[in-house]
Amino acid sequence: MTELSLFAGPPSSAGPESFRDHLKRLGPRPRGDRALIDTLDRSGLVGRGGASFPVGVKWRAVQSRSRGAAVVIANGAEGEPLSRKDRTLMALRPHLVIDGALLAADAVGASRTLLYIGEAHGAAASAIARALSERSPAELARTTLLGAPPSYVAGEETAAVNFVNSGVAAPLAIPPRPFERGVDGRPTLVQNVESLAHAALIARHGDVWFQSLGRHHAAGTILLTVSGAVAKPGVIEVASGCSVDEVLALAGGVSGKARAVLLGGYFGGWISADQAGSMVLDPKGLRAAGGSLGCGVVSVLDETADPLDVSARILQHLANESAAQCGPCFFGLRSLSAATTRIAARQADHGDLPQLHRWTAMVKGRGACRHPDGAVAFLESALKVFEPEFAAAAGARGRRAS
Amino acid sequence: MPDTVLWYTTRGAGAVSLVLLSAVVVLGVMSSLRFEVPSWPRFLTTGLHRNLSLTAVVFLALHIVTAVVDPFTHLGWLAAVVPFSSYYRTFWLGLGVIAFELLIAITLTSLVRGLIGLSAWRTIHWLSYASWPIAVLHGFGTGTDTLSTWMLAIDGICIAAVAGSVAARVMFRSPDPLAADRARFRERVSRKVMK
Repeated sequence: MTELSLFAGPPSSAGPESFRDHLKRLGPRPRGDRALIDTLDRSGLVGRGGASFPVGVKWRAVQSRSRGAAVVIANGAEGEPLSRKDRTLMALRPHLVIDGALLAADAVGASRTLLYIGEAHGAAASAIARALSERSPAELARTTLLGAPPSYVAGEETAAVNFVNSGVAAPLAIPPRPFERGVDGRPTLVQNVESLAHAALIARHGDVWFQSLGRHHAAGTILLTVSGAVAKPGVIEVASGCSVDEVLALAGGVSGKARAVLLGGYFGGWISADQAGSMVLDPKGLRAAGGSLGCGVVSVLDETADPLDVSARILQHLANESAAQCGPCFFGLRSLSAATTRIAARQADHGDLPQLHRWTAMVKGRGACRHPDGAVAFLESALKVFEPEFAAAAGARGRRAS
Repeated sequence: MPDTVLWYTTRGAGAVSLVLLSAVVVLGVMSSLRFEVPSWPRFLTTGLHRNLSLTAVVFLALHIVTAVVDPFTHLGWLAAVVPFSSYYRTFWLGLGVIAFELLIAITLTSLVRGLIGLSAWRTIHWLSYASWPIAVLHGFGTGTDTLSTWMLAIDGICIAAVAGSVAARVMFRSPDPLAADRARFRERVSRKVMK
């Protein structure tokens, strides 16, 4: 059984934890300084927004350039359609997120703290707004609440910076990265809200405690959004390093028979059901193995669903969410999506399937941000895991016509 | 014998460069025409444009280096860099140097487009329309094989292809679907102004 850390304390039915309960349970916010960054390094905490980048390294990069003028953006945009964990965390533990953001601001030397929260996540935004009103005037003056537009790329870190600067949440070309030049040209830390909440607990309990929460060599706990063919879909907190089988058991077990598991969400990839079960959910380990935990999405596809149709819909969503800034992304994803949709509808043109394989290689790495890369990685996983289905569907029309 | 090898390489690489550069210009014009059919989506045009232009730079380097090191001509490195400084066919070689230097400017600014910004890149990219004809003139003026049938055929095909695509560009201007889609996207991700 997982020892809860972010969701320790009152049950979810109790709603957002008040500042009084938060203080009674965890005590006041500790100091945010360079020693905290060292502690984060030792803790092994990696970002939970999707890229699994080491949190301590990111904070130090901003701190070393800051001179007291840096900016912190707590990223709660959560534009991933299958993810609910950020909005759930903000709705239940708003003070943990605020603590994490303020600790980050203190540690990196930031003069402004922005809470960037998806405008569609009403419960989360109102919980954070209420939590801020419970804070001291000094803390309130340091923080600004900001609604993120409901688009997939709005949570990408340069898009968040661009939104603050120009009011348009479209990704920017890198370099410069936000830690070099972000909001108003200042060094900017863009950090997912779950990562910040973990940091708030590590600041209190230390790196050894955080390490002890995980299994094997993995550190801490992770928030997952489990969906699809399970008895009890929803957000759960599990020990880092547990297996997919354990996660599915916690979600009430698979209803029916699983064909595949989508790990990491729209930017993640399919894993066939027989391989997924024993897979270990450890951000660093998965990354080393070429996979990704992404933002913690575990979605189960059962055998009665059409995997090609589901994959085509996801790809179409990603194509529609292109910011239309880079040709290879906008036109490439559109073409890939159209070909996949034709195959899924069993109306493939001759050559659609070989073209999918050829075109994926031409789109990768050709955008200002990683949007095309994520979409292509998803498609590649679909082509691999559902290879027999794709082959059968791509030939379906030819056989009918003859 | 090595002299002849160098001489043949210079001529061959020159002819290959002409074909590649013509293809690059045609592909560039095609992408500005927003050419697209289902089996040839727009991103293939730009991808091929980019890869072929880098290939052309390699063949041009071969063309220039073999010409310079060829002991028969004694061109020297200065003649390859400073236009009209060559004692040998001063004018026609000078055109080749100019065309190549324009191409280098176009290539380098494309490689650092993110740093210099789109408008500066675009201005310099217009120099393609100068670089290509100057290169063709250079070939006509000093090419050893200019009057052979096969070279005339290559010249004819290249000029027809480029002239045809440029004519198409001047005559058919298609609206940019990207502009409409970008506007729609921007509208969706822009900060709402409360009234």
